[in-house]
Amino acid sequence: MTSSGLVLRATYGGPRPSALTLVRQGLEETWSRRRLTRYLVGADLHKKGADTLLGNVWWILDPLLQMVVYVILVSLLLGRTTEDYPLFVFAAILPWKWFSSAVNDAILSVVARERIIKQVHFPKIVLPVAATMSGIANFAFGLIPLVALMVLFYSDRLSVFLLTLPIIAAVQLVFTLGVAILLSAVNVFYRDVGNVARHILRLWFYLSPGLYSVEQVTKLVEKYPAAGVVYGLNPFTVIFEAYRAAIYDGKLPNFVGLAVLLGGSFLVLFACIYGFKRLEPAFAKVL
Amino acid sequence: MGRAAAQPAGDGIAIDAHGIGVQYSLRFTKKTTVRQSFAELARKREGPTSFWALRDVSFRVSHGESLAVIGPNGAGKSTLLQVLAGIIEPSEGRVEMVGKVSSLLTLGAGFDVDLTGVDNILLAGAFMGIPDREMRARLPDVVEFADIGPFIDAPLKTYSSGMRARLGFSIATSIEPDVLLVDEVLATGDQAFREKSRLRIEELIGAAKGIVLVTHDMHWVTTFCNRAMLLERGHVVAEGEPADVVKIHEDHMEQARLDKEAEAAKHRLQGVM
Repeated sequence: MTSSGLVLRATYGGPRPSALTLVRQGLEETWSRRRLTRYLVGADLHKKGADTLLGNVWWILDPLLQMVVYVILVSLLLGRTTEDYPLFVFAAILPWKWFSSAVNDAILSVVARERIIKQVHFPKIVLPVAATMSGIANFAFGLIPLVALMVLFYSDRLSVFLLTLPIIAAVQLVFTLGVAILLSAVNVFYRDVGNVARHILRLWFYLSPGLYSVEQVTKLVEKYPAAGVVYGLNPFTVIFEAYRAAIYDGKLPNFVGLAVLLGGSFLVLFACIYGFKRLEPAFAKVL
Repeated sequence: MGRAAAQPAGDGIAIDAHGIGVQYSLRFTKKTTVRQSFAELARKREGPTSFWALRDVSFRVSHGESLAVIGPNGAGKSTLLQVLAGIIEPSEGRVEMVGKVSSLLTLGAGFDVDLTGVDNILLAGAFMGIPDREMRARLPDVVEFADIGPFIDAPLKTYSSGMRARLGFSIATSIEPDVLLVDEVLATGDQAFREKSRLRIEELIGAAKGIVLVTHDMHWVTTFCNRAMLLERGHVVAEGEPADVVKIHEDHMEQARLDKEAEAAKHRLQGVM
């Protein structure tokens, strides 16, 4: 296939390519069709922004309102006292909203383009990639209330370590891409993946140290070593801790943990690209 | 992608299809859910789990040839075009396409109703893999042919269905391919636009090196094609001179109609007795 995507000599059928070939194909397709991805992201943002008068304002208000809900729940009702809890919990809401909305959008990204998939030959992998990329805007808008919150109420917690946020976000993006790509393909075959994912995501959030810190669950971990394994393997343990270090604690995030997570995320991403490419040939038949 | 080809098609060949078969699984249909799959496990499976939409289909299209594919509904004609366009991978066999392939399967597919006409043209070009620069260069022609006036800068949701169809046709026919795949898309819009689009298709047919046309219009077959292939239940039943193949097809259709009538008469008779 030429880089322009126009097929000059193509063979369909024959032996199935190896796993490595499939992953390489997936990466090449994503790169060579970046223009298509850009158009899709543009269309998506246009739609989300234009649908409601307050489109962009909602992206700013959403995490703030969610923060208020958790502050009421945890500080007032459960009576837990954590210093500057609103900022503490906001540092987790920001990345989590990005992750969960990107995954939810990506799940529907392939089936939503059913008609064109049945009529035009193009690399389907751009669809979940575009959905994930447009989620970055969601995250970026979330930074506005974060900065506002910090400047207005927690100015003593402002630090240069906020500059490490893009690095943490990049690690998270790699992990998100993998999950998004795989689930978008599975949803073609099982249309209720979205329903299942919604509940799993909610549970996942509560099982990650977002509303609480890892130290607060040490007792639990001592009692049930299995819980320690769950927290140890949960990528969001590292991600939330890193965001919290940069935003709340004003210190350097754990770069070793992030590096390990980045390596693991790339493995997950490649495995998910492989899964997607294996399922892709059946899309046009099932849709 | 062409590395897997054992013997590349020789010069002058546009399409080389060898023993194509397409198998559909009946396990996954459009509305499968996890819940249903569990229900399936509990129940005993009955009936076939797959069927062949196409089997043992081989043919070649040389430069200058245009092949008509005819057959009753459900014969696998559209599936064949999807395989040639690369949309569906064949389950067995191999197809080799030489040259720039365009499929006119694409009237208005993938339109985004929130985007303007112009944005939709660019998006469609990106889906079809046309380089952006090329698509922007073609933009004025596409807009002019679609002939929808100032609406071109309005979101697609404000379009009438006729305007959408015209824009779709204009986009689909904007590239001049070496191999052209046409699925009955010819009846679009009002009388004037139909005439205009017929001329455009004829023009494309004249310019392309190889053509595969799927149609129910036997007039098109005998006018534009120099070869025809009859598909029935996924198999090639006849191939050759368009007039001969059309004759066989019409005989078969007539026979099927008579059989059906006889069947119906038998039922009526049984009802009386």
